Amino acid sequence: MTKASAALALAGVLAVPAQADADTLTISVYAFAQDAYKQALYDPFEDLCGCEIVVETGNSIERMAKIEANAADPVIDMAVISSHDALSLARKGLIAPLDIARLSNHAKLYPAAQDPLGDHMAVGYTFYASSIVYRSDLVEIESWADLLGEDLAGNVSLPNIVGTQGPLTLMMLDKAMGGDKSDFAPVISRIGEHADDIVTFYSRSSELAQLMNQEEVIAAPVGRFAWSRFKSSPLPFAWADPAEGQAGGMNVMVVTKGNGNEDLAYRFMDYWLSTEAQTRIAEALIDSPANTEVVVSDDVAENLTYGADLINSLNILDPAVIIEHRDAWVEQWNTEVIR
Amino acid sequence: MFLNTREGLALALPAAVFSFLLFLVPVGILLSEAFRVDGGWSLGGYVEFFSKPLNQTVFFRTLKLGVLVTLTAAVIGYAAAICIVNLGPTTRGRVFGLVVLPLMISPVARTYAWIVILGRTGIVNDAIVGLGLSDTPIRLLFTETAVFLGLLQLFLPLMIISLVSAMENIPKDLIPAARVLGANWLQVFFRVILPLTREGLVIGGTLVFTGALTAYITPAILGGSKVLMLETLLYQRVNVSNDFVSASVIAMILIVMSFSANLLLRRIATARR
Amino acid sequence: MRGLTSWIILGLTLTFLIGPFLIIILAGASGGPSLAFPPDGLSLKWYAKVFTVESFRASFLLSMFLAVFGTLAALLLGIPAAYALNRYKLPGDETIRMIVAAPIIVPGIIVGLALLRYLVVPLDFTVTVALFLAHTALVLPYAVRVVSASLHNLRADIEEAAVLLGCSRLGAFMRVVLPNIRGGVLAAFILGFVTSFNQVPVSLFLSGPGVRTLPIDMLAYMEITYDPSVAALSALLAFLSLAIVFAAERLLGFSRYV
Repeated sequence: MTKASAALALAGVLAVPAQADADTLTISVYAFAQDAYKQALYDPFEDLCGCEIVVETGNSIERMAKIEANAADPVIDMAVISSHDALSLARKGLIAPLDIARLSNHAKLYPAAQDPLGDHMAVGYTFYASSIVYRSDLVEIESWADLLGEDLAGNVSLPNIVGTQGPLTLMMLDKAMGGDKSDFAPVISRIGEHADDIVTFYSRSSELAQLMNQEEVIAAPVGRFAWSRFKSSPLPFAWADPAEGQAGGMNVMVVTKGNGNEDLAYRFMDYWLSTEAQTRIAEALIDSPANTEVVVSDDVAENLTYGADLINSLNILDPAVIIEHRDAWVEQWNTEVIR
Repeated sequence: MFLNTREGLALALPAAVFSFLLFLVPVGILLSEAFRVDGGWSLGGYVEFFSKPLNQTVFFRTLKLGVLVTLTAAVIGYAAAICIVNLGPTTRGRVFGLVVLPLMISPVARTYAWIVILGRTGIVNDAIVGLGLSDTPIRLLFTETAVFLGLLQLFLPLMIISLVSAMENIPKDLIPAARVLGANWLQVFFRVILPLTREGLVIGGTLVFTGALTAYITPAILGGSKVLMLETLLYQRVNVSNDFVSASVIAMILIVMSFSANLLLRRIATARR
Repeated sequence: MRGLTSWIILGLTLTFLIGPFLIIILAGASGGPSLAFPPDGLSLKWYAKVFTVESFRASFLLSMFLAVFGTLAALLLGIPAAYALNRYKLPGDETIRMIVAAPIIVPGIIVGLALLRYLVVPLDFTVTVALFLAHTALVLPYAVRVVSASLHNLRADIEEAAVLLGCSRLGAFMRVVLPNIRGGVLAAFILGFVTSFNQVPVSLFLSGPGVRTLPIDMLAYMEITYDPSVAALSALLAFLSLAIVFAAERLLGFSRYV
């Protein structure tokens, strides 16, 4: 009786639909704005391809670690991650070079997005500016150094060092402290001295939006892609224009090596890069376009990182530099900051 | 009692084999990994782990919060258990039901509530500012206090239940008798109640301590990245850095801590006999 | 310690234990856009929203499936084991007892990680199967313990009599033993169901794209938005658990067995 019933129960488990059939595309994306993405991107693509998109969400580094853990038998077909995490995956040989010929929209991208890592390991699909979002009724922000100033003590959150925004914040604090981008150790020590003034180190922009809407935090550095969450809040949030300028970065698309679902992955990426999809995503105020043909109204542009001039003005940190130093930063961060 | 051994084993073995293959073997391999460095056997993983100041902090924080939660739960638990045992049978059943009730509710929900309570705009801060105890709201979320409260609320019922069951075995007249003979409440507690409820205290204490040690949600939600505990550190080691050696080391530490707690409490319980 | 003092202590303790739960119910009924207490006006919209979130539906079904079938599987393994441990003199019965009880002692997060590393990755088990096996192993100790307790209270000579009167051993078990331990089995089922359904640490690592248990999904949802729907869902789940437990208590006096 036991055996037969156990077999039955097992059969029950196996009857749960397997996720990996041919018409399913498994993607790994950032957690923010998933409702909007569904409307602007996933649903239209599903209608187009007659396939199903399965979405895994999380911050860039956790999803990168998962791709690494499952390298032998990739679960994820296509991922969008930060350019430095993509470079890290590329160096470990976990992502496949892209066949640009299969991306009809590739030539429409800004030059910087066409081959950001070399060897066509990735394409950029969005640029973002990073600055400080703050409560304009409570404080004024004029410099990145204000993050560690008296006014914000006990009310500020910084991005976690391992996240996409962490290194950017280090870079801008370094600039504010008169550094030359060569060594962030003094910046980390400085953050360590102020560790008690920092509410928490957030690891997802969605998490920060919550903290700020809950009034736990009144200022924090964040990517522009999260701005719509702040803009729609009843609280008066503002986007800082610090003396040192804004930081910036690019998120990229990658295809995992040997996932067997490349056809669908390429179709999806090409669709995501199309003028049509990029415009829709821009108009929903989610991600700023990397496609040069996207034209949006001034109102929309105001909320995004839009146009060559703005993109060129951003302070960029070379992904290779981040990868090279990340372990040392984390080590120092763990010792001096979160102790 | 049947004597047919083969038949008995045939009935008992499926469960044992299942547990062994799908549980003990994988967990055993995982734990053994903590002793493996570069293909050989070594304690290097532990040395490395404890050489990092962050890991030390997290280890001692976990230990400290575990002990504090257990002690507080014991104090509140005794007070509550004594009151419950003295109630009439019907009320007692109802109150006991209310104590058990939280155990049936998802820990996610129970922890989530603390965000509303302890947040900067939460009721505790409203009360503090309203009563003029402080001009501005004070920081409660992402502190050890928040994690402490969350854990206490999660595991206090286990302590109360254990103590109530232990106390039900004390003869009804014993306490009044001790009182009549001139013992004050403290003496009654230390001379009568405590010795007779040792077993319950050990069970409750072990449950609360291991629970606090191995809770993931509470430190994750209420502590965040600044108040890491071993469990959240383990999660980070795996999910952020694919560092399975550290993860195995933490796993081993957690298991050793819960076992030692159990042994220590047992020792304390029998020592005073 | 009588009267007033006693009630003050109990009142405070119960407020501490139950209060947060009441707050969750009310916070879920908030009319405002974010989690707040006291709520911004009352509305059931967040309770309604719970049912429209697609991932909640999928993860609810997965969690239900695991709780029901994982517990059933644990009972199928656990009842015979409990019976054997109670009625037979077995060599190594202490070892068997220990092996079966082990899952209770080891922290769940380690179990999840171990299964991920040594079953899912190398042996190509799907996450769903690993979850099922993990939840079964996790519930097994409860099943064995509760059923043992209730077998212990049932005198062995009743079934011996049945066998003497010509019943087969299996027949005696099915017709005599099983009906008598029905309550214990149900208690084990409910305890297992609640344990499995609310389980977080084991499932933490055992998740894949589109496959998440409900508590893990709730955690993920909370990372995206703190809107009151998680509070509403928490309250609904709590009511579900309570309804099951109360029904069982009414029907069978569940608490006698736990």
